[in-house]
Amino acid sequence: MAHFRNPIAARFGYGARTDDRQLSRRTAAARPAAVRAMSVSEIPLAEGRATGGRGAEFRRGLAASTPVLLGIIPYALVLGAQAAQKGLSVAEVPLMTGLNFAGGSEFAAIQLWTSPPHVLLIAAITLLVNSRHFLMGAALAPFIRHLPKRQVFPALFLMCDESWAVGLADAQRRAAAGMRPAFSLPFYLAAGLSVYLAWVAFTACGAALGPVLGDVEKYGFAMAFPAVFLVLLRGMWKGFAAARPWLASLVVAALAYLLVPGAWYVAAGAVSGLAAAWFLAGET
Amino acid sequence: MIDPLTVLAILAMAGVTYLTRIGGYVVLKNRALSPRATAVMEAAPGCVLISVIAPDFVSRNPADLAALAITLLAATRLSMLPTVVIGVASAGVLRWLIG
Repeated sequence: MAHFRNPIAARFGYGARTDDRQLSRRTAAARPAAVRAMSVSEIPLAEGRATGGRGAEFRRGLAASTPVLLGIIPYALVLGAQAAQKGLSVAEVPLMTGLNFAGGSEFAAIQLWTSPPHVLLIAAITLLVNSRHFLMGAALAPFIRHLPKRQVFPALFLMCDESWAVGLADAQRRAAAGMRPAFSLPFYLAAGLSVYLAWVAFTACGAALGPVLGDVEKYGFAMAFPAVFLVLLRGMWKGFAAARPWLASLVVAALAYLLVPGAWYVAAGAVSGLAAAWFLAGET
Repeated sequence: MIDPLTVLAILAMAGVTYLTRIGGYVVLKNRALSPRATAVMEAAPGCVLISVIAPDFVSRNPADLAALAITLLAATRLSMLPTVVIGVASAGVLRWLIG
C-alpha cells in the first residue's frame, strides 16, 4: 500500500492503525488533498456504477496490489536469508511462509528459532503477533457476511495486512458510491494471491541465496532486526501515554533475558505489556 | 532437508495464524469488543515487537549498544530501508572499530 509512509510496515501489519486513520479521514471528510501519498481508495473503480466482470475485478485487484509487492520483496529476501542462517532448509522456508503467510510472526519466530525449535513458544509468539487479525477480521465481517462460508473461509486465509487494507478500503469506497455488493471478492482475491505468491516465492529465493552471504552476523546484519522492528514501532507510535505498555514490555523482557535462561523473555515481556495496557485502559 | 520438529512448529504457527484470521469474523461479527479489550489488542503488536528486541537493549557489547542508539535515532526519522542500511552499516563499522 503506497499510502503507508513506510510501505514495509504494511507487510508486518503494524501499519494497521495508520491505515484506519487514513480510511476514516478519507471517508468521513472526503478531502483528497489530505491524503498526501496515493491511497488505496484512489485505486480506480470499474467504469461507471456497473460492476465489471470477474476478470475485470481480478485485474483491478492485481493493479491495486502491485505497489505493495515492491515493499514486500526485499523483506521476503531478508526473511528467507535469516531463516537459512537459523538452519531452515530451502524447502522448509516456503513451507512456513506458504502455510503461515504472516510476515511479522515469521520474523519473530525466526528470531527465536532454535534447533530443535521450541514449538510451544513459537506458537504462542505467533498468536501474540497475529492477534491483530482478530480486529481485522471483525472489521471485514460486515462486508463479507452475505458471502457463503465456503467462500469466506478460504478467502480469510489470504487476509494479510495488505489484502485486508486494500479490500476493506475498496469495499468502503464502493459502499459510499452506492455499489452493491460493496465487497468485491475477485478484487480482494487478486490482491491476496499476488501478495501470497510474491511472499512465498521471494522468501524461498532468500533462503536459497542466503548462504551466499556467508555468516551475516559477522557483518552487523543482526542489527537489521532491531532496525526493522524499531521502524515498525515508530509507525505505531501514538505518543508516550499510549507507549507505556511497550515500556513495561521492554523492561520486563530485558530483565527476563538477563535472569531467566531460554527465550521466555518474549512471552514475559509481551504479557507484562498487555497487563499494563489492561490496567492503563481502566484509568480513563 | 525437512526436519519433523520444524514441520511441527510450522504447522503450529499455521494453525494458530489461521485461527486468528477466522476468529474475528466468527466471534466478533455480531458484537463489539469492550474499549478495554480493544486497548489491549491495540497494544499487543508493539509489546511483542519490543519484547523480541529487548536483548539488544542490554547487550554486553559496547559496539552493538552504540549501533542500536544510532539505529534508534535513524528509525525515528527515516523509512525502513535507510534505517536498516544505517543499522547494519553502523554495527559492522563499530564492531570493526571497537571489537
